[in-house]
Amino acid sequence: MLSILAVDDSPSIRQMVAFTLKSAGYSVIEASDGADGLAKAKEKTVNLVLTDQNMPLMDGITLVKNLRGMPSYATTPILILTTESSDDMKAKGRAAGATGWLVKPFDPVRLVEIVKKVIR
Amino acid sequence: MTSLPVVDAPFKKDPSAPFGFASFRYTERGFDTQAVKVLPGEFYADSKDTPIVTILGSCVAVCLRDAAVQVGGMNHFLLPDGGESGIAGTAGRYGVNAMEMLINELVKRGAQRSRLEAKIFGGGHVMKNFTSLNVGQRNAEFTKEFLNTEGIRLLSEDLLDVHPRKVCFLPKSGRAFVKKLAVDESLVMQEKQYQSRLVEKPVAGDIELF
Repeated sequence: MLSILAVDDSPSIRQMVAFTLKSAGYSVIEASDGADGLAKAKEKTVNLVLTDQNMPLMDGITLVKNLRGMPSYATTPILILTTESSDDMKAKGRAAGATGWLVKPFDPVRLVEIVKKVIR
Repeated sequence: MTSLPVVDAPFKKDPSAPFGFASFRYTERGFDTQAVKVLPGEFYADSKDTPIVTILGSCVAVCLRDAAVQVGGMNHFLLPDGGESGIAGTAGRYGVNAMEMLINELVKRGAQRSRLEAKIFGGGHVMKNFTSLNVGQRNAEFTKEFLNTEGIRLLSEDLLDVHPRKVCFLPKSGRAFVKKLAVDESLVMQEKQYQSRLVEKPVAGDIELF
């Protein structure tokens, strides 16, 4: 089963994301901020990372940079799911090595479509 | 020399403000500074005591504040008719988004999610012709479930009943004022229109693959 790491400091968003992705047949590991996400990504190499941007301890873009520095995550798809929609923030995400930028709120059907498209 | 009274400069919409950030300013009786009106689907956050005002029928307004940094804000939303109203439900996600927009704006201004405290208002049973049994109750229940899931402490609530409400929140000090209003058909119509917009034009953000 393909696994996804879902990182968000909001328990409600994690619940929504996990429900959507589990319903689509993926196994989901949850993390509550970037630092927690990084620790969980090291524990088990997942097939895709979906992370929020604004979080305590470590934000999403910093998480992306850290993951891209690890050989096991050099090519893993990493999607940022955030309420941030400015071109400036997107450019930072892209420069850090993110695969895509999804602006909240997410449509569950479209989220699953994008995940299917990029996961490997 | 006598000092001139403090008057807000004419409000210019901030081009960098996020979608849904309230921008309508007006003079509210009893306050020195201009008030901001939060319309259905909007939110507002500030670190000054700008009066944030909204009128609620069956909608709810959540006032959040981080007392440590004295930053607060308010949103105004309802869930669309039909669909599951739980957090992971098809209707519930509209509410989660409304909450997320406000929380994100507070976090940007220095608030911490773990320190947020809430005062919640609205959910009046004012839409008698609606297909749902009680739209207001559904909105109120969602809000309490959300706050509970997020671990946000609820300081006070004025929910349900049959009255529309006018709510004024001062984000810096956290004081809130509520006035119960008589049922107003135009308010009911406004909420119905807002609710049908949600269904006709489902909310979903842009997706960009790099």
